[in-house]
Amino acid sequence: MLAILQEALLGSLSNVLQIALIVIPLMIFIEIIKDLNWLHYLTGVLAPFTRWMKLPQEAGLPLMAGLFFGISYGAGIIIQAAREGTLSSSDIYIINLFLVICHSVFEDTILFAAIGAIWLPVLVYRLVLAVAVCAAISRFWPGFPERLFRDRAKAT
Amino acid sequence: MGWDTILRGTKNGLIITWELARVVIPVFFCVTILKYTPVLPWISQHMVPIMKLLGLPGEASLPLVLGYFLNIYAAIGAMLPLGLSVREITIISVMLLLAHGLPMEAAVAKQTGTPVTGLILVRIILSFLSGYLFNLLL
Repeated sequence: MLAILQEALLGSLSNVLQIALIVIPLMIFIEIIKDLNWLHYLTGVLAPFTRWMKLPQEAGLPLMAGLFFGISYGAGIIIQAAREGTLSSSDIYIINLFLVICHSVFEDTILFAAIGAIWLPVLVYRLVLAVAVCAAISRFWPGFPERLFRDRAKAT
Repeated sequence: MGWDTILRGTKNGLIITWELARVVIPVFFCVTILKYTPVLPWISQHMVPIMKLLGLPGEASLPLVLGYFLNIYAAIGAMLPLGLSVREITIISVMLLLAHGLPMEAAVAKQTGTPVTGLILVRIILSFLSGYLFNLLL
């Protein structure tokens, strides 16, 4: 029994330490990105993809925020944009769909990389999948998000 | 940008490490102990038919379920003591990156005023399809 507890103690502590050594520099890097306001420059990179997903240009900022800093951060910016009226309810649905499939690309990816996963193909796959699913719905079934909202309005 | 940026980053990193340690260490302990009881082999045995499709051993169902319902930290705590291969860790990572913390993240998405039931379903379906796909490709 003692050997088992020792195995658990050493194993868990060494793994937490290993993850901490990667996560702390990463969080410093993320704070630097926030300070330098790179998010606004980088939304330009997203422009072809947002167009592909039939989203307005204003969708770039919540998408970037969610991708880099996490789903809560993205949601905060969506709520703000919704208040300003720059995004329609089906835009908001598509942005949410994108972000639930792919968010916190630095933090989540690095956690799995730290425990030995082959991370690059997984990251690329996740991004491609999110764009593909959102573009497919926007292009082939554009009425879908609106129908969802209508159904919900009827139900309440 | 300056020292305060670095300080803020370090603080956030330490907060994440603390949150992680708080979940990973107890889960790691429980799973390590479970490994030496008949419980884990029993669960594992019953999950083999599904997990085989994903190229995973039966006991890998434990981190998947913990990850879906709780979060990635809990899943990592449960994965580590199982001694999985790089290939298996990668398959679990793609499955969990697509779907994790489902109740919590659905609550966050709901705050934006969007219906979330479909989003949760999409995540679970994509998670399983992607696990199957990575098992074929890797």
